[in-house]
Amino acid sequence: MIERLLNIDRRIVYLAVFFAVCIPLLIGFELPIKATPNVRAVYDSIESLSGNPDAVVLISFDYGPSSQPELQPMALAILRHCFSRNIRVVGVTLITEAVGLAMQAFETAGEEYGRVNGTDYAFLGFKAGGPILILNMGQDLHGAFPEDIRGVATSEMPITRNLRSLKDFDYVIDLAAGFPGVDEWIAYGQERYRFPLGAGCTAVMAPDFFPFLQSRQLDGLIGGLAGAAEYEALVGKRGMAVSGMRPQSVAHMVIIGFILLGNVVYFLHRSAVRKGPAA
Amino acid sequence: MYFLQRTLPLLVAFVAGVIGIFTYYVPVAQPVEITTSTWYRIIAAFALFLGIHSLLQMHWRRIRRNQAGWAFSAVVYIGFIVTIALAVYNNGKGPLQPLAPGDGLDLNWMYTHVHVAGGATMFSLLAFFIASAAYRTFRARSAEAVVLLVAALLVMLGRVPIGALISEHLPEVSQWLMATPNLAARRGILLGVSLGAIATALRIIFGIERSYLGEEGQ
Repeated sequence: MIERLLNIDRRIVYLAVFFAVCIPLLIGFELPIKATPNVRAVYDSIESLSGNPDAVVLISFDYGPSSQPELQPMALAILRHCFSRNIRVVGVTLITEAVGLAMQAFETAGEEYGRVNGTDYAFLGFKAGGPILILNMGQDLHGAFPEDIRGVATSEMPITRNLRSLKDFDYVIDLAAGFPGVDEWIAYGQERYRFPLGAGCTAVMAPDFFPFLQSRQLDGLIGGLAGAAEYEALVGKRGMAVSGMRPQSVAHMVIIGFILLGNVVYFLHRSAVRKGPAA
Repeated sequence: MYFLQRTLPLLVAFVAGVIGIFTYYVPVAQPVEITTSTWYRIIAAFALFLGIHSLLQMHWRRIRRNQAGWAFSAVVYIGFIVTIALAVYNNGKGPLQPLAPGDGLDLNWMYTHVHVAGGATMFSLLAFFIASAAYRTFRARSAEAVVLLVAALLVMLGRVPIGALISEHLPEVSQWLMATPNLAARRGILLGVSLGAIATALRIIFGIERSYLGEEGQ
């Protein structure tokens, strides 16, 4: 019996995870969502800009389809927050894969709040160069991005006309899932041009950025789907991230259950092996 | 040949490295940095073509030799050709125009219904593998493993709302673990990695480290 449990068929584990994800999606139940200080810090930074008609936030969409389940709800929650406070948003990306996701996020949130492309928001698209592009944006924003994704000149669009450098943004948020990402925005952007920087990242990356929170190179951090859910709760518009907390919570419980079961079986097996030769 | 294969690359690495350091720390050299960073981006854009060439060449070799899994290589070719064709067609507007909106089979459709869906599926599969791997390998075999196990369980519970239902202190404990022991360890790793990166960069600039030229470092 112990041997069988020790070498449990992985399909049983997969089936348990499958049901742990599916059942909470089908059954609606509420879970309390309380914002952590790091998520609240990003929210407060944007909130402090409300009432300033000239405020512009820059969002760098540095994630691809593989990490969009965690980061796209985050992007939507931040855009909804900005648009609900009449804060203008400019978007860029350092990776090719993010272009479609960023456009979808702008279109969805823009339509919800009746925002106009070019006036209330702009998406400048992708340019090659990764971290060096950040440096170029600090040196000359119009030079780094002469046109937006539609081909409209950034020197003529109302939202970007007066923006010359990264220094001109009131707040910058990097939503990243790897390289180039938060590390590069700190080293080539924040350290060089001294603008307030917040970040959003996948849950597995979040522990890496805690040193930058303490050194205040980052003023806030949204980590994973849980962070996105906290942000949605703060904005007051619950979406994909809050819904995702139900399956994520139950899946965590199932994985913890398997870890505990695995250890119990391991110790039973070890004690049986030790007793074996003596008997 | 020796000059082109050894001396010239070493010279280029030395000049580029010195210019990079000089323009970062000397304010009067800032205009040079604007030029060199623009060069870098142009080279990076051309590196994309090199990457595509390398990818296609590797998969073509697999198809030609009928290697195991050659059909997957064929899928790479089909995906590449279809995507390039849709991008060049651009809903009838041509390749040099901004992305044209469309409501049928176009680049946006391919991105949303193939790329995004496939990427999200691959990411979701991780949960299954993590659960299976955690059951088999996450064992309290030593005192260090017990500490790791307890910390992992507390963070896993504290990071999801169900943790707050079990105990209101769990999110606080999770936050403390991340912001104190994790931060201290991470900072130590960061300092070590950064010092190592600086040392390696200097070795490359001064030609001591030559493994990027295909030879052993001295």
